[in-house]
Amino acid sequence: MALLTDENNGTSQVDGAYLDYAAATPMAPEVVQAMLPYFTQRFYNPSAPYALAREARTDLEGARARLAHLIGARPDCVTLTAGATEANNLAFAATTGHVVTDAIEHESVLACAEARPHTIVPVSTDGRVDPAVVAKALTPRTQLVSIELANGEIGTIQPIRQIAAVVRSERERRLEASEDTPIYLHVDASQAAGWLSVDVTSLGADLLTLSAAKVYGPKQVGLLWSAEGIPLRPLVLGGGQENGVRSGTENVAGVVGFSVALELAQRERRAEAARVSALRDRLQASLLQRFPWARVSGPQRQKLRLPNLLHVSFPCVEARRLVILLERQGVSVGTGSACAASRMQVSHVLDAIGLPREVSRGSLRMTLGRQTTRRQVDFAADAIERAVTSELQRTGVDEVQLLERYGSSRGAARLGGRA
Amino acid sequence: MSQTVYLGMSGGVDSALSAALLCEQGYDVHAIYMRNWSRDLPGFKCTWAADLADAERVAVTLGIDLDVWDCEAEYKTTVVDYLVDSYARGYTPNPDVMCNQAVKFGTFAQRAFADGADLIATGHYARTQHATDPAQPARLLRAADEHKDQTYFLWRVPGQTFNRVLFPVGDIPSKAVVRQMCAERGLGIERKPDSDGICFVGEVGIRTFLLDVLDRKAGDIVEWETGRVLGRHDGAFLFTIGQRKGLNLGGGPARYVVRTDTQDNVVYVSANHDCPALLTTELVLEDCHWLAGHAPVARNTLAGQAPADRAPASGQTPVAGDYVVRTRHTGALVPARVEPLPNGQARVSFDTPQRLVAPGQSCVVYDGLECVGGGIVCPDTRPHPRW
Repeated sequence: MALLTDENNGTSQVDGAYLDYAAATPMAPEVVQAMLPYFTQRFYNPSAPYALAREARTDLEGARARLAHLIGARPDCVTLTAGATEANNLAFAATTGHVVTDAIEHESVLACAEARPHTIVPVSTDGRVDPAVVAKALTPRTQLVSIELANGEIGTIQPIRQIAAVVRSERERRLEASEDTPIYLHVDASQAAGWLSVDVTSLGADLLTLSAAKVYGPKQVGLLWSAEGIPLRPLVLGGGQENGVRSGTENVAGVVGFSVALELAQRERRAEAARVSALRDRLQASLLQRFPWARVSGPQRQKLRLPNLLHVSFPCVEARRLVILLERQGVSVGTGSACAASRMQVSHVLDAIGLPREVSRGSLRMTLGRQTTRRQVDFAADAIERAVTSELQRTGVDEVQLLERYGSSRGAARLGGRA
Repeated sequence: MSQTVYLGMSGGVDSALSAALLCEQGYDVHAIYMRNWSRDLPGFKCTWAADLADAERVAVTLGIDLDVWDCEAEYKTTVVDYLVDSYARGYTPNPDVMCNQAVKFGTFAQRAFADGADLIATGHYARTQHATDPAQPARLLRAADEHKDQTYFLWRVPGQTFNRVLFPVGDIPSKAVVRQMCAERGLGIERKPDSDGICFVGEVGIRTFLLDVLDRKAGDIVEWETGRVLGRHDGAFLFTIGQRKGLNLGGGPARYVVRTDTQDNVVYVSANHDCPALLTTELVLEDCHWLAGHAPVARNTLAGQAPADRAPASGQTPVAGDYVVRTRHTGALVPARVEPLPNGQARVSFDTPQRLVAPGQSCVVYDGLECVGGGIVCPDTRPHPRW
């Protein structure tokens, strides 16, 4: 598959398209270059006493400082982890009491919530969490509110600042009432980091999760930022690295790669968002023109949806078959979060937004990224058209009936505007 | 109007080729993936999602429907619970036999026919001869490939059911040919390794699986011949007749399990592989099932009357109650006399002593190529020597 084919470099043919950047991103060349010395030359254990090892320590702390700077935080508040799932688990381990979260969070958050007293708030049909509903779900014993910044399956961006205000006012109420139960806001920003500001102060979060793997960095590298004074409870015990919060020899190469990756992603995010959202809109328009009865999920408003994500459902078509037909044309797309797809479960996200099963089972999630070109998008649109058409023919489903039953998404009123 | 076949598709090579062959034969093929019970716990790795993905790829290649039927509840109650109960009683069951009877040719068949199927099909290595009158039982014959023959697992299925069953790979001479035919058809699955063992137990093994459900219980390992306590075990139900590994007797000669007594939680062993207690000239079967609907008639009364195609494989004149039996999948076919007993039991006698079979295993009876039925092996009741 010619992933790197670009319309600017004189090559005019594409023979495939990777459209699953929300699942995995290829590491940026700068990231690879930055990491390479740490595998063979600067491989030392940062905790060792000699000068060479102390250089590794300096590099690690330098990378931590850059990461902290990028999120507007102090370096000593950044705990490095083996990925976002661990960071989410660590955030939850800071408290033990009642937690409020929403129905479309990542499995790592939902699984942690289900292990303790919890309230799961519903979302609207476009996946938005209502801050007023979060406020109602709070009890005097609530210790944690966990809401993601953006959803990786349908792309909904959550009103984190308003939710932060809800948490802040509950904290103020407790202070006035002399209640000493703490309450924190945890924000999983893994899927958002390439597209939105992840400045902890302006978000108003107390705990923030980031992943290197979603921003063209290495997998199994992530971080949890925690505001000063939040006592983190370690899940991995041992030599006491990361201030005793996360034992194990530090992944210097990974952290250095993460810092370079996040720096690039944050620097380029506005320009990249503009470029990629134009391609996403082109893909969406071309699919809806061909299949007006297809349904796009997630917020219609540009500012409320991740710019690189298109979630489209073809009712009465089996998405798993589409994925196979598309892979044979060199097009890689997802059907939802990889975690659920690998177990062939119905997406909890699509259930939560009230998508009927016969619609949700025909869902493709396409996520664009740095190497996505206009030609690839057009190629993918053609491939999807062929795949859906052949499945419709095979099953004898009549498109006129689909149109009658599911209506046209092309009108602005239906285009995700069901909220 | 072509006939509609519902094919049980597992994601393996045999059912994939079955699908292709049925399509080529002009059937209207609906593939069904039966999702069975799996243990969703750390350590219990079940490959069903990957198998479904493989099945889906073949279905897309052939342009046929593939539906997933959730058979979890049925599988759990008829196969998994049966397995655990049997082991707890000191039996060593064949879960595949129960799965075929209750799930594949039970629930699946009923649901398929209710859904409009004319026929069902699976990738089993077996052959059938449908009866002209569908009320009469069909005949079940061993596969062309004796090394892959799976009739051992099919003896409990009602003979009438087989009238509506197709086994498209049953006539193919070998697995190598099956793989080659898959490759020729571009199914992309020809290199997938054979699966064996119980799906839901996966790679952890039956011991780990049982210990997740049943409690360990310490007991003595006793030498069969002398009554001497040689060591301790962690539950008689974890051991089976003939077992050599896992006794942890520390050095010394290899020892074999001769009997397990789950009542008193004792495991008897012997260093003598040919210990008389490990051999027998007779097996008593219970819970017998005969595909023709009735027990086989002692052969001496039929001598000279048997149709030519029912002649024993040996081709010799049948003597009293002559059949061949098999006590494990693809095991040796041993000549035996089969004598029906009351209460659904039967006695199987051999002229020469045979290795003892663990209670709970299937003993399957053949008349030449034809599988006539079988039963579940009962515990051997011979007492241990006087110490």
